[in-house]
Formats: sequence, structure tokens, C-alpha cells
Amino acid sequence: MTVLTGTDRATRANDAEPVTRRQINWGRVAAWTALVVLLIVTIFPFYWMLRTSLSNNRSLAAEAGSFLPADFTLGAFRRVLGLATTQEALAEGGSGASVNFWLYLRNSIIVATVVTVGQVFFCAMAAYSFARLRWPGRDRVFFVFLTALMVPPIFTTLPNFILIRDLGLLNTFAGIVLPTLLMTPFAIFFLRQFFLGLSREIEEAAMIDGAGHVRIFFRLIIPMSSAPITTLAILTYINAWNDYMWPLLVGQDESVRVLTVALGVFRSQTPQGSPDWAGLMAATLIAALPIVVLFAVLGRRVVNSIGFSAGK
Amino acid sequence: MKTTVRIAAGLVAIPLVVAACGGDDSTAEGSGGQISYWLWDANQLPAYQECAEAFHESGTDVQVTIEQYGWDDYWNQITTGFVGGTAPDVFTNHLARYPQFVAQDQLLALDEYVERDGVDTSIYHEGLTQLWVGQDEQRYGLPKDWDTVAIFYNSEMVDEAGLSPEDMANLEWNPDDGGSYEAAIARLTVDANGVRGDEPGFDSNNVDVYGLGLAGAGEGFGQTEWSMYAFSNGWTHTDENPWGSQFNYDDPAFTEMVDWWRGLIEKGYMPSFAIADAGVSMMESYGAGNYAMVTEGSWNTGAYIELTGVETALAPTPVGPAGERASMFNGLADSIWAGTDNPDGAWEWVRFLASAECQDIVASHAVVFPAIEESTELAEAAFSERGIDVSPFTVHVEEGTTYLAPIADKWAEVTAIMGPTMDSIMSFSADTTALSDANAQVNALFQ
Repeated sequence: MTVLTGTDRATRANDAEPVTRRQINWGRVAAWTALVVLLIVTIFPFYWMLRTSLSNNRSLAAEAGSFLPADFTLGAFRRVLGLATTQEALAEGGSGASVNFWLYLRNSIIVATVVTVGQVFFCAMAAYSFARLRWPGRDRVFFVFLTALMVPPIFTTLPNFILIRDLGLLNTFAGIVLPTLLMTPFAIFFLRQFFLGLSREIEEAAMIDGAGHVRIFFRLIIPMSSAPITTLAILTYINAWNDYMWPLLVGQDESVRVLTVALGVFRSQTPQGSPDWAGLMAATLIAALPIVVLFAVLGRRVVNSIGFSAGK
Repeated sequence: MKTTVRIAAGLVAIPLVVAACGGDDSTAEGSGGQISYWLWDANQLPAYQECAEAFHESGTDVQVTIEQYGWDDYWNQITTGFVGGTAPDVFTNHLARYPQFVAQDQLLALDEYVERDGVDTSIYHEGLTQLWVGQDEQRYGLPKDWDTVAIFYNSEMVDEAGLSPEDMANLEWNPDDGGSYEAAIARLTVDANGVRGDEPGFDSNNVDVYGLGLAGAGEGFGQTEWSMYAFSNGWTHTDENPWGSQFNYDDPAFTEMVDWWRGLIEKGYMPSFAIADAGVSMMESYGAGNYAMVTEGSWNTGAYIELTGVETALAPTPVGPAGERASMFNGLADSIWAGTDNPDGAWEWVRFLASAECQDIVASHAVVFPAIEESTELAEAAFSERGIDVSPFTVHVEEGTTYLAPIADKWAEVTAIMGPTMDSIMSFSADTTALSDANAQVNALFQ
């Protein structure tokens, strides 16, 4: 980052002067208008979530067209954080289910963190081996991996479920993280492509200095690839955080239930009943917060490294 | 190198440690006199929590933990629980589901226990106990509550239309011209220009308020959607109930009813199937003032009455060509999972749930009608204390115009055929002639 000096500012001001005197630049106005419209279109759903989460469920339908919260209340957030009694929740048309929010948050963090650390680490090693080591059948094995990328995850759900059950790992963190802990074809493919582009000379120089593959991997490859690894880690974390189907199948127990699964209690309670919209929106907002923070902090990095270049 | 090995060892250890954590929790649960109980309706949760407290105070050493899952997830959770060995010991069971569970050997037969403890099954409303006896003559549940269907209407709109509560309580229906029922629906329908459905110049393509709401096509069950019309037209789902094996979806009494019912969409008195299926529930549309009346089950009474912005009143379902009203009579029961590791504790809780003590507690919460006749009276009183006259629901029991919910084996398969068929008919992509084909497919399941 360069710091703007006084002269810089002065020259900019001088540049700007004639612009204001000139006629309005319609192209620029159109661009800004388009930008603002897009911004509103993007942000509006989030505003609507916030507005709904601050509403009383019983009044939502009657005030469907209002841009302000219907019958303002913090009840939905109290329900989500487990502060409301069943009676209070039902009085606002909410779900009376008890939500042990902090426990589920902890579980989500454990699952997402373990999956991210495990998957990125193991996939990096596998990708290195596919990109740099020479061993018999390497390309064939890689082809098999790529084929696995084509199999929709829903096909593996049942066999995985049976396997986890037979291993006695239902309702354990291990059962939830295992299928994605060691590798996903996408992560290996993603990193391999990057490793292929790293310059071989550096590696050869390290070998001449007596470094083995393990040392090269940890001391050279990983530091040189910190950008794509971070990207992959963030993507993995978000995926693991948002995963619903698998934890719903194997992690129903209170002690390992993750946030996404716990949010299910705000869906329809009875046949033909309507969901607890306010509670659902409040919970979704809170559950999305960690991801939003993650993006705010690391977003620039993600965008930068999507167009990653090898020689950085 | 050493650090590398350490890191690798650490990472490998993570799942093991994590496994150990989770494992401890799950073993702790099954031990002792602990049992788990599941239900889907949050509105009933406080009532059953009070029951559990009364149960614990009764001196038992069985500890009950109640969990509630929304209807959408409930059955998924139960069936994966059966496979994974983590299903609840006791759970609220539904008539449409239990035959399949029995066929899969997932339910514990209760006859021995009922006999051993001399449980009196005559205290329940007539028919409710018989519903839970399977084809093998074994009992798989003790009744907990019952429900019927009624008309829920926006009293302000009814008032504006010049109709009185007496008018609403005395509607009659037929499949030819819809009778006074359709006349009321037309009267309650208002288009964007303020013209009512029975006035000249009504624009059926630009309707503001529909006289009658639509929740869906009702699959092959039709409980709150169409069953009250079909029953009052002299029709039943199957040749005999329970355990019928010949379905009647191609019967003219059914097809003419469906033709009339979906005709309301063409006339602009009822929203299209696309609107009903768009993701906004009927209750929300009703609350937003888009529907003047709906047909709904008694279990949703509280939720409708408490909607703000609309004043809701109840009316019984219309009298049909058969000369009387009709309503499906559905009853829930509590069942024990065959895989429970504590059948005796589970039975103790089921027996308590089915006892007058617990059902009186449930009655006092005024959410559902308990299965025990005397407890039902308490519930009626509790409802009227909340300012709700529930006679439109109970009238069916008093007048004997209830029709038991159809119980048949292979209901999931029947639904898989009838669901899409009814959807396509209600969305006008097929005619009611499609019902004869569907009926043949359904009957083929039982050959």
C-alpha cells in the first residue's frame, strides 16, 4: 500500500477540477446507477432476513408488504439463543423447540475446523505426490480420482452411512468428519494444478542441498503455495460449515448436532403448518456470521488467489 | 523432520480423540431407566413436558427425555434411527406410517403389556383403539388424541359479504352446482375491482381475495383438502377400512367431486395449484387476507386463531348429497420402537401417556382433543376458555359423521402414485380420467 502524499492529493484535486466543470459524464452516471441497483439487489435479501428476524411470526402474514419489522420483537433471537421459554416462543408463533445454541455452535466449529485442517493437509500431500513424485500407475490413480469428482455425493451417502454405522461411529464427531477428512477429489485436483506450475529448479536446488521430499514439501512447497492453500482452506471451511445432509444423517445426537441441523427445528412443525420464519431468519443470520467474518477478513485473499500465478 | 512427524502424528490422532469424545456421550444415554420420547408438534410440547413431570412425580424411576422435530424432518429422523439403531424408545406415530413400520418389524406389539396391566381400552373414543391393531391382530399403539376437519373463516370478510355465522354453519354442498357452499365461496371472492364472485363483471383472472384457500392436491389421502366432500358424496378410499385392498379412486362419486373442486379454480374462487404450491403456506396466505376461508384440521386451530390482523371463526364442513356432513377421523398413538433397550420403561411411559391423568393435562392446554372421551370434554372447556367454540369439530363425533382415516399396507407406494396424479389434475395438466389409470396401478400393488 502506498501512502498518499500531499502532492499526490493536490494533483488529484487539480485533475478533478475540470471534470466537474465539464458536462455530466452520462456513461459514468449509468455505471454508478447500475452499480447501486446491483448493490441494492444483492443487499436487499439480507435486509429482508433481518427485517423478518425482528418480526413477530403471528403478524408476519398480515404485514407482508411492510418494509419494517412486523410487530417488532427480539423474540426470534431469544429463541435462537435458547433464552426464551417454550411458552414465550409459542406466544409469538415460534417453534417451541429448545435450541442449545452455544453447544451447536461449538460442534459446528469443531467439525468445520477438523475437516478443513485434515482435508487441506492430506490433499496437499496427495497433490504433491501426483504432481511431483514419479511412481508406477500414478497417472492411472489420478484418473480414478478425477472420475470420483464426477460422482455426485448423494450416491455415496447411503454406503457411507452403512459403513459409519458398522464402524459404530453414528452420533460421533468422527462419523461426521470422516468421509471428508482425508480427501476430496476437488481439493487434490485444485492443488495439483498449482503444484505443477511451480518451478522445478527451486526443488532441484533443494535436492542438491540434500533435502528429501518431506523437507521440500514442508519447507518449500507449502510456503510457496500459501495463497491457493488459504483459498482452499476457506472454501473447505465454508462447505463444511454449510453441510446439512450428512450431519443430519449421522449426527442427530444433541452432543454432536451442528448448527445447520439444529436450524431444522424452525421448519414446519405440523402438517400444513408454516415455518417459524422469524426464528429461521434469526438463526440463519447468526449461523452465517462466522462465514461473513471469515470473508471480511480473508475475502481479498480469496479473490486475489483465484487468479493465482505460480511465480509469486 | 522431527516436527513433520509430530505434526503428522497429531493430525492422525484428531479423529481418534474426536471419536472418543462422541462415543462417551452416546453410551451414557442408553443406560439406566432413561427413555427418549419424540413428537413433531411444538404446540403440544409444553403439554407433554407437564405430563413427563407428573410421570416423574408419580414415583417411577424411569426418566423421560422429550425431543421435538418438525414434521418435515421427523419421519426421516425416525427411519434413519431404525437403520442406525438410534431411534427413540417411544414416539408419536401416524396412521399413514405405522403399517409400513409393522411390516419392517420396527414396532413392539403391546398386547402382552396391555393384558398384564389390565389396561381398559374402552375409555377411548369409539374406533380409535381399533385403528392401531395391525393385520396380524396385534396392537401397536395406545391412542393419544383425535382430530377432525372444519371450515376456518375470516369473520370480518364473512360479515362484509352479508353472510351470518348461522349461514356459515348451515352450508350444503353437491358436485353439480356446489350448492349454498359454492354460493358462499363465490360471494366471499373479490376481484381487484372490488366485484364479488357472484356479481356480473367479475374478473376471474384478477382475484384479490379467494373465497376458498387451497393447501395442495391432497395426494391419495386428502384429509383436509377434499376428504370431507368425498365422504359426504358417499365415497370411501377403500372397500373396507382398516386394511382395505381395493381402492376407489376411479369411482364416479370421487371423480365428479374432484371435477367440481378443481372447477373452483377455473371460476376464480380458489387459487391455482401453482399458487398453492409456490412455497407460501395456506395459513400465511390466509393471514395476509388473501383467502376468506379454508378447510383445516383441528390441530391447527390455535395457530389460526392467534394470527394477528384477522379474526377467525369456525364452521362445520358442509352437508353433502348423502344428507349429512362428513369429516375424516384421524387418531395418533404412541408406539414403542422394537429396538428399544428398555421396553419396560418405555411401556410404563406409554401407559402413562394413554392414561386419564396425562390426557387431562393435555386437554387443559387446549391444543388437541385427547383420545379419552372424558378428557375431550375437558379440552372443549379449555378451548372455550380461550374463546374458541370447537363444536364444528366435535359435531362429527356427536352425530356419528366421522370416517376413519384409511389404513392400508403400502401407503408410501399409494402416495407415490396418487401424489403426482392429483397434482397433475389440480394443475389441469391431466383430466380426472387419469384417476382410473392411477387406481388400476394402486390396486395392482395389492395383488
